[in-house]
Amino acid sequence: MPEYSHVEMIAYTGSRVLEDNTIVFVGTGLPIVAAMHAQYTHAPGLLMIYEAGSLAPILDMGMPLSVGDTRAGRKATYMKGLCGAFELTQRGYADFAFIGGAQIDMYGNVCSTMQGDDYNKPRVRFPGSGGAGAMAANCEKTIAIMALEKRRFVNQLDFVTSIGFGNGSPDYREKAGVMGSGPYRVITNQALFGFDEDTRRMKLLEVKPGVTPEQIQELVEFELISPSNVKEMAEPTEEDLRLLRDEIDKEGYFLKRQIQK
Amino acid sequence: MKKISSDIKQISQIKYQEKALEYWGPTPDEARKIMVGKSKALKDKRTTLKDAVKAHIKDGINLGIGGFVNTRVPFAAVQEVVRHGAKDLTLSFQSNSICVELLAGAMILDPDRVSIKRAEFAWWGYELIGIAPLLRHLTTNGLIEVDDYTNYGMSVRFKAGAMGIPFIPIRDHGGSDMELINKGTMTECPYTGRNVYLVPACHPDVGLVHVSAADMNGNSRIFGALCTCPEIAMASTYTIVTAEKIIPEDNIRNFPNMTEIPHPAVDSLVERSYGAYPGACYGFHWFDMDHIKMFRAACEDFRVTGDKTKLKQYYDEYVFGCEDHDDFLDKISYKTLNKLNKLDGGQPIILT
Repeated sequence: MPEYSHVEMIAYTGSRVLEDNTIVFVGTGLPIVAAMHAQYTHAPGLLMIYEAGSLAPILDMGMPLSVGDTRAGRKATYMKGLCGAFELTQRGYADFAFIGGAQIDMYGNVCSTMQGDDYNKPRVRFPGSGGAGAMAANCEKTIAIMALEKRRFVNQLDFVTSIGFGNGSPDYREKAGVMGSGPYRVITNQALFGFDEDTRRMKLLEVKPGVTPEQIQELVEFELISPSNVKEMAEPTEEDLRLLRDEIDKEGYFLKRQIQK
Repeated sequence: MKKISSDIKQISQIKYQEKALEYWGPTPDEARKIMVGKSKALKDKRTTLKDAVKAHIKDGINLGIGGFVNTRVPFAAVQEVVRHGAKDLTLSFQSNSICVELLAGAMILDPDRVSIKRAEFAWWGYELIGIAPLLRHLTTNGLIEVDDYTNYGMSVRFKAGAMGIPFIPIRDHGGSDMELINKGTMTECPYTGRNVYLVPACHPDVGLVHVSAADMNGNSRIFGALCTCPEIAMASTYTIVTAEKIIPEDNIRNFPNMTEIPHPAVDSLVERSYGAYPGACYGFHWFDMDHIKMFRAACEDFRVTGDKTKLKQYYDEYVFGCEDHDDFLDKISYKTLNKLNKLDGGQPIILT
């Protein structure tokens, strides 16, 4: 197997979970790389929404460096503004959302606003929800990309920015007034997680070759559902890595970047 | 007081002060009254940024900022606001980087010239380049009050303002801590009986918007993503538009469907090429990552060391050392601007 980095594994896995002829609402960074890789390989009919306002762009001027990048509007089929983009999600046009954050809990709720216990005087302040809170609410399925660390996979979020399954009760999302079905996958470089249908708790689906479910549990504060049939994560081939490195992120803006500590 | 809610309180541990259900700026009635009182004449609204800012920017206003992160941001207008000075500002925007950091840096250097009292927004940062050092400084030291929404929440608050309605029902914020801490509220839908979240309209006192092209009356075209610029322009009680190009009124009349901001929504119009620089402007130029990084590095240096020297150097050179945006652009090399033009200038726009 060729050598690959942590971020390349995340981008490749992100690509794998997307499906052809669907619409994905992407966030800046690895989600764009993952969606472009999917378009190059198994999902040529995958279309992207960028929240500044474009649908189905053809990124022939290069990978947008942010979701507000002017190139994210390149040769789009439809382009309005943020209202237009998010109203596509409320109406049910967006199948997948890619979000990130600083912390995630067992029900897939995500924090990207702040850390500390006082909203008015946080210990650490992050940029805020941006689109994530709205994407997690109203895209049909939410995919989170996270670094697999105990301080990020936590029992208690400091601030719930993006809704998951809340407290795990079956009607949490309905009472919240949101439309999407909620958390679908959580992608890390060493494991792929899904959610248990009955309990809505995070469940281990796949582990990186050579890594055991016990080792994954060590990196997570809450108890994972760990079925006996956990699979091995597929690894990127030479061709996948060539696409990622030479066609998609040529300058290494996202792939050369280590996961931010 | 918020009466109905989701079950967020069962999982939340955040300490917060519940915000009154009120507007941080003009009420819908006040905003309407101002609009009704204005002349709707088609007339030449062209002026200089200095005069436009002098006419509209006052202490204590809600300042609405257009663009999105680093795209088509009204940077030239914000620079002029900093030169002019404005205290006790409320900032309202969805996502921004350099404009709001420039105001924050001005506050750190001289709070008697510029100060931010509070901000209602969704995202304040630099994406790829990193977190916003001055947002972190101001919030972790409790120096400004904040009110968090999603990007849709803030955008649709401007949309409600533009529609002339007092609030709008939406499908996000519920079940997150934003439901607890922001000025929205959960209610029961009278038709479905399900919970639905309401956010208040947002009417900035003054909106700052940069557009691709406008005629002299202010009828504006925007190419590339619209961001939330049409909504901000129409929600604001006074709007300053900077435009890359001024085009003839005949061109507007040939293709009226392409007008994103109608003339009565524009109070002052300034022809200002590179008005979004160092941000990007679709069809004209890409963003200048090096300049943004340089400014951010000066801010980060202050955040980490507490020493204002590098921050002051930036403002002395690029804000106060410039009489206007032309002076500022003089300090950016032709090579740089030419390179940025080539990186995005080829995208198709229609000026005819």
